Amino acid sequence: MNAVGPDRPPLTGAAPGGRTAAAPSADKRRQLAGREARAAWLLMLPALVVMAVVALYPLGQVVSLSVTDARFATARVERSFVGLENYRRLLSLTMRRLPPVVDPDTGLQELRDGRPRYESWVRVLPREPVRYSAVYEFSAFGSRWVVGATTPAFIRAAVDTVVFTVWSVALETILGMIIALVLSVEFVGRGLLRTAMLLPWAVVTVVSARIWEWMLQPTRVGFFNTLLYDLGLGDGNIGFFQTASMQLPTMIAMDVWKTTPFMALLFLAGLAVIPKELYEAAEIDGAGAVRRFTSITLPLMAPAIAVALIFRTLDALRVFDVFQVVLGGQRYSLASYTQSVLIDQREVGLSSAASVVIFLIILVFAVSYMRMLKVDTR
Amino acid sequence: MSPRARARIARRTLFWLLVAVILVYLLLPFYWAVVSALKTEAELIRTPASYWPQRVSFANFESVLGNAAFVRGVLNSAVVASAATLLSLAVGAFAGYALGQLRFRGKTPSLYGILAMTMFPQVAVLAGLYAVIRLLAMPSLLSVTLSYLLFTLPFTVWVLQAFFRGLPASLLQAAQVDGATMMQSFWHVLLPLTAPALVTTGLLAFVKAWNEYLFALTFTVIDRSARTVPVAIALFSGESAYQQPFGEIMAAAVLVTIPLVVLVFAFQRRIVQGLTAGAVKE
Repeated sequence: MNAVGPDRPPLTGAAPGGRTAAAPSADKRRQLAGREARAAWLLMLPALVVMAVVALYPLGQVVSLSVTDARFATARVERSFVGLENYRRLLSLTMRRLPPVVDPDTGLQELRDGRPRYESWVRVLPREPVRYSAVYEFSAFGSRWVVGATTPAFIRAAVDTVVFTVWSVALETILGMIIALVLSVEFVGRGLLRTAMLLPWAVVTVVSARIWEWMLQPTRVGFFNTLLYDLGLGDGNIGFFQTASMQLPTMIAMDVWKTTPFMALLFLAGLAVIPKELYEAAEIDGAGAVRRFTSITLPLMAPAIAVALIFRTLDALRVFDVFQVVLGGQRYSLASYTQSVLIDQREVGLSSAASVVIFLIILVFAVSYMRMLKVDTR
Repeated sequence: MSPRARARIARRTLFWLLVAVILVYLLLPFYWAVVSALKTEAELIRTPASYWPQRVSFANFESVLGNAAFVRGVLNSAVVASAATLLSLAVGAFAGYALGQLRFRGKTPSLYGILAMTMFPQVAVLAGLYAVIRLLAMPSLLSVTLSYLLFTLPFTVWVLQAFFRGLPASLLQAAQVDGATMMQSFWHVLLPLTAPALVTTGLLAFVKAWNEYLFALTFTVIDRSARTVPVAIALFSGESAYQQPFGEIMAAAVLVTIPLVVLVFAFQRRIVQGLTAGAVKE
């Protein structure tokens, strides 16, 4: 992005040669430039003060609280320095192989419900000095493995949030592109469709979450269970939020509905700047619709796509509302986990450390996006 | 009919089919919210659900409008969102002018710093901001307003500086030649020209503040009377703890969405321009 103003002759001394005779003297010019700079900083002062109060100071607070065991005790905030203990609690991970349970009589692995039995993770994961709990179990290389963590809820929240982000951003990009392409065509009722498109984006997230929650009720009181049953799909009792394997897909579907409009808007703006003549020329040269899309639309829209991807990815990584409203304590996103540690468990120190970790995760995503898409090089 | 004409008709039909599918996809949840809000209590909990109300009843709307927590939430939201919008417009217009029209050292870093703020995760400052607010012992409504500046201010600054930059430099130069000071040219020449931009940006900032949930939920934990409407709707509970009053929730959802429908319809063209000016113009 270009941060330099519109083309004006530079006021500062570095002007290429003494312009024309009518131009002010070098002294006068420097004076003007000084006045302009002073005025600029004065104008920015209120904004800078506000940002310092709501962002910089609290951020410093979070970092300094994250190395303490601060809790909200009764009324006083008590704390002592604990170093990186909070970070270790959040991020400690280990992977162990689960040994098969062998029947002592036959010397073969025991079966339960026809499937081989393995030792429980409780016996395998370390308990000293801190207790690990299982996050995931999986099979690979002919063995059964368990991933353990000291704060499994945080690790699970991190994995869930990343999965949520990747899927929802990918789907939103595709759907947003389709809607933007439709809206770039002039047709009767385009304003109506544009209004309809803006609605999901503008509606309060909590409200849309509760509407979806109501539509996705686990009985045929809900719209989707009724519809799917009438279409001969499902038994009318699909637990969209109750079944663990359906929770994330449901959250993704809700988010895609809510934020595809935002993607479509940014794409629409990207489409608007592509000169029509390019398409005409390509059509004369015999390029088909697909060819025109891949060799004109996509490359010229790259900057718009990059910006949309960055905005959406960062938004999705810090998702809070839908998870908190619909899933409550059942399943967390990174943000809702951090909030719950702060408010429900009152562990200010641990919550601050979680905040810092989220900040770093988002920073990594932001920087790698910028690099990959070459947004900041020009 | 020639094959070419037939192909055109097929393409037309497909296009309109696509438009219809998109419309249904976008509007279906709103349809269901309205239909559910208009059902009677008995019909609402009947299985299977009926696709439209057998008997239209406004009982849900009446009980929502009589719900003190909801009405209070609407008022709180209106106060908080308006205050945050006006504050960030006032502060943001100055900064936007400086960044968009004036030249000074440190401009590019300032711009990137502000952009970084828009990428800032709200949760990252949650604990710190909570500590600050407890320290200052501010009234809840004020602390929620202040916290909203975290995302409304960078947004307004970024969009407004793009608008200011789009104004021709000759305007400012002409004003300066006429002997106007920096502030005079801002007030009398540039600000009137950006009035449309201010309206659009303000509207978008208002929508963002109106929708906010994380800060509102966290900073009103102790002070229930300061809850905004999203918090009120999220915590909507009925007479019994087991049965969620979804009819009333849907009525509340419809009620808070209607002003947005009106705003969005009135401003749809401007919203498209405003949103895209800040983000993709470069």
